[in-house]
Amino acid sequence: MAKPKDSPPRHEAAASAPETRPGALRLSGGVFTLSVLTLESPDAQQLATRLQEERQRNPAAAALLKNAPVVLDLSAIPAEAPLALEEILAVLRGAQLLPVGLRNAAPEQQQLAGEYHLPILRGQERPAGPAAPASVVQQRGTLLIEHPIRSGQRVYARGGDLICLGVVNAGAEILADGHIHVYAPLRGRALAGVAGDETARIFCSALEAELVSIAGLYRMPERNLEQWGQASQIFTTNEQLHIAPLGGRHT
Amino acid sequence: MARIVVVTSGKGGVGKTTTSAAFASGLALRGHRTVVIDFDVGLRNLDLVLGCERRVVYDVVNVIHGEARLQQALIRDKHCENLYVLPTSQTRDKDALTQEGVAAIMEELKQDFDYIVCDSPAGIERGALMALYHADEAIVVTNPEVSSVRDSDRILGIIAARSRRAEAGQEPVKEHLLLTRYAPKRVQGGEMLSIDDVQELLRIPLLGVIPESESVLQASNQGIPAIHMKGTDVAAAYEDVVARFLGEDRPLRFTQPEKTGFFKRLFGG
Ligand SMILES: Nc1ncnc2c1ncn2[C@@H]1O[C@H](COP(=O)(O)OP(=O)(O)OP(=O)(O)O)[C@@H](O)[C@H]1O
Ligand SMILES: [Mg+2]
Repeated sequence: MAKPKDSPPRHEAAASAPETRPGALRLSGGVFTLSVLTLESPDAQQLATRLQEERQRNPAAAALLKNAPVVLDLSAIPAEAPLALEEILAVLRGAQLLPVGLRNAAPEQQQLAGEYHLPILRGQERPAGPAAPASVVQQRGTLLIEHPIRSGQRVYARGGDLICLGVVNAGAEILADGHIHVYAPLRGRALAGVAGDETARIFCSALEAELVSIAGLYRMPERNLEQWGQASQIFTTNEQLHIAPLGGRHT
Repeated sequence: MARIVVVTSGKGGVGKTTTSAAFASGLALRGHRTVVIDFDVGLRNLDLVLGCERRVVYDVVNVIHGEARLQQALIRDKHCENLYVLPTSQTRDKDALTQEGVAAIMEELKQDFDYIVCDSPAGIERGALMALYHADEAIVVTNPEVSSVRDSDRILGIIAARSRRAEAGQEPVKEHLLLTRYAPKRVQGGEMLSIDDVQELLRIPLLGVIPESESVLQASNQGIPAIHMKGTDVAAAYEDVVARFLGEDRPLRFTQPEKTGFFKRLFGG
């Protein structure tokens, strides 16, 4: 599955210069969030087809990824498989993605990467929490928020579920490693299972979200969606994201 | 001990200064000793709206930098005796306000006044944070349009997270929604959000609705706070706002499109 994921924040080594001379280079640290594309097959043509399908299925998401730097995850590619890296990079650039490195590469693949000057990035296996500091972060257990979560605010229930009793407004972002419950309209972005738990779900009493995501699979609901404004749950089966009525037969 | 009320919005040009002047005047008219502070360093509009621009000698920045005493900078309003204005500087920038300086001024004013009204600059940066930091109550001025509502939502989030009350873990700042520049006809035509739409989005109690009116511009050109424009809808609406703020029950007015009379309709008067 070629699916974009939130990747872990990456810590660049900070080299602190003992003295700053005018004109000297200054190296400083930075933390970045990059999208990770998991390669399904070593074949470039297959990747091109999948990207094309994805673009048709979700044009809004594709637009969002335009000119985005991406990391190629090779964990699904056997080390001995012939990897057409040059063609693959060309396909990505053709799709307006900017490959910036590889992840989970076998030694042979790493050598290949060197030939194309692609760095090997080491990140956690699964996407971890948000790169930017959250307004509220909970380490474990359930996080209960009783007040509205407003534009510009970010709440992350690390290691547990998130329950919101107030509205989550457009421009707000809520994240949880576990489930997310919103007993009010959900209008902002909601990301459940951000550490990779595909069994996590999102429940809300009115779905008007800008984005819903579970374990990296995401969707941007639109007004013409059947569940728009309705009590809904969002869950995944077989790498598919479903939006269903709450209390419906899908439970 | 004074209550500190910030008039804020996030978005610019929605009617904060107009509201600060009218609201502070309304409190003073009801006998409360009130001071209104201009936090919009560099722009200085409040003194114009209050018609005291020619009497500004010292400003809040001078006080913070020890160049003048607070008493020297306070200007007594010419319309009501209970109202004082602390103007801001037109020549300095927002960094001229310091956290400690503002805190010291608030402490001093609290001893003398019943209400301190803070006219916030637009935006969510330093100036706006300074204005809201000490607030006990916030009047969030919002126009019935999506971008203004979004910015109000943003500023409400900031009040909830970064005010002194939030930092000290005290009872949260009391929030009030004030819809301004409300044009019932355009709401009916679907061009503007309705009162219900805005409340559904922001979910804070409604303090009042100020209609869109030309009298506001006339008032500010003459340097008279809109609440003094006798006989106008805007003055009556601001009076209602003050009354509700002080705990009175007042039904909403000026929220329905004016019914055009038969003759008016006939002759297009
Ligand atoms: N109810 C109203 N009807 C018509 N015009 C209004 C109304 N309220 C404010 N205005 C006009 O809108 C403009 C902006 O008002 P005001 O200066 O009070 O806004 P502000 O929020 O303080 O702006 P800033 O963010 O620049 O400080 C002024 O020209 C004012 O006359
Ligand atoms: Mg102003």
